[in-house]
Amino acid sequence: MGKIAALIKKTLGLNGGQIKGESKVKKIEINPMTRLEGHGKIAIFLDENGNVDDAFFQTVEFRGYEKFLQGMPIEEVPRTVSTVCGVCRAVHFLCSMKASDDVYGVAPPSTGRKLRELFYSAHTVEDHTAVLYALGFPDFVVGPDASPAERNLVGLIKAVGAETGKLVLQKRGLAVKIFELLGGKPNHPVAALPGGWSKRINEEERAQIEKWAEELVELGKLTLQVFDDVVLKNPKYMELVTGEMYRVEVGCMATVDEQNRFALYDGTQKAIDAKGNVVGTFRGKEYLDFISERVLPWSYLKFPYNKKLGGWDGIKSGPDTNIYCVGPLARMNVVDSMSTPLAQEHFEKFHDTFGARPVHYIQAYHWARAIEVLAAAEKCLELSRDPEITGSDTWNQPSSCTGEGVGILEANRGTLVHHYITDDQGIVQNANLIVSTTHNNAPINLAVKTAARHFIQDGNVSEALLNHVEMAFRPYDLCLACATHTVTGGQQPVEVNIYKNSGELYKQMKNF
Amino acid sequence: MNDVRTIVLGIGNPLLQDDRAGLEVVQRISRMDLPVDTQELYTVGFEVMDRLMGYNRAYIVDACSLGNKPGTVMEVRIEDIFSSKNLASSHAITLGATLKTAYQLFPDEMPGELRIFLIEVERIDEFTDIMSPCVDKAVQETVDIIASAISSKGYKSGRNMSCCRHIL
Repeated sequence: MGKIAALIKKTLGLNGGQIKGESKVKKIEINPMTRLEGHGKIAIFLDENGNVDDAFFQTVEFRGYEKFLQGMPIEEVPRTVSTVCGVCRAVHFLCSMKASDDVYGVAPPSTGRKLRELFYSAHTVEDHTAVLYALGFPDFVVGPDASPAERNLVGLIKAVGAETGKLVLQKRGLAVKIFELLGGKPNHPVAALPGGWSKRINEEERAQIEKWAEELVELGKLTLQVFDDVVLKNPKYMELVTGEMYRVEVGCMATVDEQNRFALYDGTQKAIDAKGNVVGTFRGKEYLDFISERVLPWSYLKFPYNKKLGGWDGIKSGPDTNIYCVGPLARMNVVDSMSTPLAQEHFEKFHDTFGARPVHYIQAYHWARAIEVLAAAEKCLELSRDPEITGSDTWNQPSSCTGEGVGILEANRGTLVHHYITDDQGIVQNANLIVSTTHNNAPINLAVKTAARHFIQDGNVSEALLNHVEMAFRPYDLCLACATHTVTGGQQPVEVNIYKNSGELYKQMKNF
Repeated sequence: MNDVRTIVLGIGNPLLQDDRAGLEVVQRISRMDLPVDTQELYTVGFEVMDRLMGYNRAYIVDACSLGNKPGTVMEVRIEDIFSSKNLASSHAITLGATLKTAYQLFPDEMPGELRIFLIEVERIDEFTDIMSPCVDKAVQETVDIIASAISSKGYKSGRNMSCCRHIL
């Protein structure tokens, strides 16, 4: 144990290279073994007094997609990357498609662009809804201290009632129908073209989408009502939402439209520091002027930071950090307003509740995600009523190849960057992908450490520790995905082992 | 005229070696002249529910890593793969949890007959669409089982099998 602690601490340059109390360090390891996450694990080190010395979120799985894509025609990349992850299929699809526009130097016509945005808005509704109801809400509806046997989707349905559960899933299913209708294929879309979108819609399909979108707006309202009833009206839960144990003070990055409003499909990237000051805006390849990625040997996941605010300074929170986060909470902090009326009402309530901006309370990610369900649903409805949406001009045929393209998408989990270098025939020579969970890597580490420090005191490791620490990374909706899809039955997903420095097991805890 | 709507649903990642076993079963079934719909899925979230609703009979095939001999084919019940403790972790909804929720909320829309097959993997750590030989063999055996079941007149199966069993 001491050697592992020493390696990690030395790597990070902690304690000036000296391992304080190394021989007395105890290690707690939380090792979730669920199917879509990949192999992420949490290691917590206690000092000689039993308090948290440090904590780390590690990704020990190597993916190497960038290598895999080399040699592939750029127009094939969207269909390929959408299969890499079962969860984030649409966002990798769209982001690489936007990069392919850039590679061929061609932008889609207005109808093609709107079809893309409609498709993505529908995906946002279905993905955010799944995340909220299956993973986020159970902590609050069933309770953070409840047994994992109850604190899950099945427990949630028991708590809110089968009729509500049925209503939510039925309405979410309508978003899937829009996704499939526009994507050209169930689950993994095929409609992307450099410079356009291959699936047009007729008036009958438009009218159907409009009806479905009306239902999605109702889903958005219902979701925010659930959050209001369950969380906002419960002082105990609001203590968690506004508690220091779940506060991570870092900068933010997100997409804004030309009026500095909320935008998912396209816009300008805007970065703010932890105090809320605007650091700058950028588009496309300019991301290289803002984002640098630090490699640390104990994780396959890189650690991006905003280099406009200085060089690598470690994984630190606070007003002067150059660490930043992405995703729903970052978006609520970066945008001046929402782009749709109902979501705007909730955006104002959100900021009125917290007061100071930016909001650094990470449980607010769930609230922000719920607001985005409504915003995306409203966008679906707006686009379904757009006269251009049934237009026949959906593709600008490319005629030349620029050899380089960057796609940036405000993915459900946060900013997603795809950068490709190709030869003059559009064959990928080099690829760089910065996914949302990578942007959030350092904030997740900070969140885990902050929560662990709060919930572990003087060697007292409560039974609720596991879930409270998991609650620190769950708001980010980790997607290390791309992992295997094999069923792993009968194994506990989360286990805490506390060892003495001799290696002897001091205490073992499981969350079941 | 067969008015029983049947679907064969394969789950897996097409690029991760043996994890593609379920997808491979579906691809082979789709090339046979059988009165079934086929569908590939790369995830086990609510999408499984979306795909199954409206069918009378369904076969699901997924890869598994349960410590059995690689290439072992198992038939399991929902309860066998429903592990509520797994739901406590972030980002994942298990196949068992999805199916359990679906049958709880939509009993009339979900298939009255459901069979779930799992194929034990050997390797899932390489980016390749070529499976291990033993898994490839297990895939064909699973195809034969499902094709036989679909073809056999009067075949009936309970919604949940009585037990988890190794069948090959």
